[in-house]
Amino acid sequence: MTGLRLKDVSKSFGEVTALRGVSLDVADGEFFTLVGPSGCGKTTTLRAIAGFESLDSGEVWFGEREMAGVAPEDRDVGVVFQNYALFAHMTVGENVAYGLRFRDTPGGQSKDARVAELLDLVDLAGFEDRDPDALSGGQRQRVALARALAPGPDVLLLDEPMSALDARLRKTLRKQVKRIQSELGITTVYVTHDQEEALAVSDRVAVMNDGGVEQVGRPEAVYRRPETRFVAEFLGENNVFAGEVAERGGGAGRTVRVGGQSFRVADFDAADAARGSHVTFCVRPEKLVAGGRENAVEAAVEAVEFLGESFRAHLDWEGRELVVRLSERPEDDRLRVGFAPEDAHVVSVGDRAREPEAVEEP
Amino acid sequence: MTRGEGLARWFERRAIAVLGVATALVLAVLFYYPVLTVFADAVRLGGAWNFEVAREVLTDPFYFGVFAPLFDGDLTAVSEIAADQPLGLVGFTAYQALLSTIASVALGLPGAYVLARYEFPGRRTIRSLTILPFVLPSIMVAIGFYAFFGANGPVNDLLAALGVGRLSMLGTLEAIVVAHAFYNAPLVTRVTTAAWESVDARMVETARSLGANPWRAFRDVLVPQLLPAVLTGALLTFVFTFMSFPIVLALGGFQLATVEVWVFSLVQQLDYAEAATLAVVETVVSLALTYAYLTYESRQSANSRAANPPPRKRFFPSVSADAGSLIAGLERAAILAYATVAAVVFVGPIASMVVESVTGPNGLTLQYYRFLVQRQVEGASFQTLPGVAVRNSLLFGAATLLVALPMGVTVSVLTARGGRWERLADTAAMAPLAVSGVVVGLGMLRGLVFGVELFGHRVQVDGPVAIVAAHAVAAYPFVVRNVSPLLGGVDRSVVESARALGATRVRALLDVELPLVAAGVAAGAAFAFAISIGEFDSTVILATGSSSYTMPVAVERYIGNRTLGPATAMGTVLLAVTSLSFVVIDRLGGRWEV
Repeated sequence: MTGLRLKDVSKSFGEVTALRGVSLDVADGEFFTLVGPSGCGKTTTLRAIAGFESLDSGEVWFGEREMAGVAPEDRDVGVVFQNYALFAHMTVGENVAYGLRFRDTPGGQSKDARVAELLDLVDLAGFEDRDPDALSGGQRQRVALARALAPGPDVLLLDEPMSALDARLRKTLRKQVKRIQSELGITTVYVTHDQEEALAVSDRVAVMNDGGVEQVGRPEAVYRRPETRFVAEFLGENNVFAGEVAERGGGAGRTVRVGGQSFRVADFDAADAARGSHVTFCVRPEKLVAGGRENAVEAAVEAVEFLGESFRAHLDWEGRELVVRLSERPEDDRLRVGFAPEDAHVVSVGDRAREPEAVEEP
Repeated sequence: MTRGEGLARWFERRAIAVLGVATALVLAVLFYYPVLTVFADAVRLGGAWNFEVAREVLTDPFYFGVFAPLFDGDLTAVSEIAADQPLGLVGFTAYQALLSTIASVALGLPGAYVLARYEFPGRRTIRSLTILPFVLPSIMVAIGFYAFFGANGPVNDLLAALGVGRLSMLGTLEAIVVAHAFYNAPLVTRVTTAAWESVDARMVETARSLGANPWRAFRDVLVPQLLPAVLTGALLTFVFTFMSFPIVLALGGFQLATVEVWVFSLVQQLDYAEAATLAVVETVVSLALTYAYLTYESRQSANSRAANPPPRKRFFPSVSADAGSLIAGLERAAILAYATVAAVVFVGPIASMVVESVTGPNGLTLQYYRFLVQRQVEGASFQTLPGVAVRNSLLFGAATLLVALPMGVTVSVLTARGGRWERLADTAAMAPLAVSGVVVGLGMLRGLVFGVELFGHRVQVDGPVAIVAAHAVAAYPFVVRNVSPLLGGVDRSVVESARALGATRVRALLDVELPLVAAGVAAGAAFAFAISIGEFDSTVILATGSSSYTMPVAVERYIGNRTLGPATAMGTVLLAVTSLSFVVIDRLGGRWEV
């Protein structure tokens, strides 16, 4: 087993810059997820690790080994693609055994025993002689996983492996993948555009945007304490406010003016944010409560969606859209919502506001 | 890892590059060098530049008609020439190619409509039969038409029975155009049918839901999607008929000669400089057209193809289901009339050839086949022996396969998936499609066969090697055309999965890609074999005065006699061998998608 390190990796395709100086550290045995919108460079990062893309600059290290010039077949990686990529002219068993043609079977088992072991691991025991075409999507993806793991790779790379499956199957399969990963303790890089999936399975996530890494951290940390506006808006829903510090007040808290409204925000270090500093902060929809007395504003109800366990209401406050979660459908067409000062998270503090427009819904 | 394994692995890693370089070398020696030899012959004489022959050819009204004075800069003769020979040889060649193209499109398009829109017993068979022209030896088709239109052929029998009287149709432009349509109309049908079948029915339905009537939906949605295919078919037909050789030679003779026939005739007279000049003119035209085609094709292939074609109408509706409107009835009648014409054009010549081979002056006979056997048993070594022709054809076919298949697969691998040099490599590799067999044959004859000085050594190849080389060059584009689209369709991640599992690039090719495209490889192989069996243009030049003649050359040599009998008998033997390779192609799911 081995850790993984990317140092300042850049890659362009013609005019298009796919990666601009990506640096990442993945610990040995870690389940590490790259998440971001399509075109953010997450798949290119994975392909650079696998050796499918040559780098314009930067380095990829597997443990103590620099991988420049090392062909994909010599990297000891297991790769699972979104579209399964099973060899259609081979049986399930032949697919899983393919990598054993080039590498010794781990633990000195026979090939057949290894194939049986792997198929058992993905709950497909006895499927050796099946034709891949005869399997369901979920089964095919599990065969692909078994095939990737059979030679005992150092690193497992998963490129949107669930995207072609329906929602219910995705949840089952991701639990299974997570279980197998922790059983084997294999270093895993997982690429997905689905932020819920990323938060659910990962030890750590890297949020990517526009060829760069925005933030790396444990799922809770990245969700609760986004460091950029992009992360705040990409992971889950958020209400982002941009304003400026009106007064210091007592302790670490500040009063922030957004439009004509003053909000009390607790999330400040004592030192930063002088009066007049531009501030961006966010409040999750579930923290924006109806009838709250602190930091309350009155907004017009624009639309209400029923989500099952709750309602999502889209509000208009002075031309800015707010999103709140409600347990009951609002009866009025106006709603008073507020939040506690400690429920606001400050994304950035600077002399200049990065985005002059205040609130947008992702 | 032992030293030997290490070396094997080292080679394995570079196998694709090595094969690519080898293919490029083979192409350079077997194609580009001969063609350049021809180009050099046109402008060099005795080791010095000499543009005299080129100037003479370009300013000769016999070749360029009214354009000749333009090249000469002397316009006084224009009106005289315009009255006498306005087109010249080159102009006539283009003119007959244009007529042939129009005829092929006219004959081919209704076929595409019927095959794409109707369901009837035998539809699939007929659809796969449309690849037949690429497998049928051109000299055999020429003999077939010779028998078909000849003084005692079925066409004249029919005319006589109708009281019109017998017409001499051999040596007419019409005969050439019909024979060219026989060859190329199926090509138009095939590419158009393929395009039609890949039209997304939902597009038409969307147009209808937006208010377009069936005719408007056809015009606004369907036609723009079919037009590229029709143009592709027409352009290729023009290129092929511009370079057509055996059909014009057999049906037109030297009175209606095209450039290709005239080049051949000049070679026979050993007038290489003039032959080369004409060959250059022809090659420049066909290369330009092929380049236009490849550019056009690459623009078109960007369109995504959704395989959701509209359902086919049944040609024989069940009585209760469809009483049938007047228009539907008229359409069916028109289709039946078309089917009759098509059957006559396509079956007539081949049937005539077979019938002619067993018909003597006194009715049914096997005398021509007895003649073949007798010639084989008693013939002198300088005569053309049928057995030798069959043996040579099979040997050359097998050897062609061995050369063309690896070349074609290598080129496919290197060009199937984008890449910096893909376009250039594709064009360079496909050039043999656009250079006539006579030009390649001439170049080989003048170069490698006559001998070349290389580093003080005289390099010379003999007839059979040169013939196999010429056949391989002609055949491998067909391997590429069969393998490349399938290879391009193999999901990239399948190959990458194999790589990640430890396979080198060439192992991934052998273990995964080639098995997945096995049908295309097999069909490409069968095409290569069939093209070698049927190749006439370069073989007839390279086999001159030697014993390396093939079946098509034997057919041509037997024509000279007073009767068509021996030639048609030999042609029937050729048909039998060719049919066999067609059966193989069909069994293997052969496809020809230009």
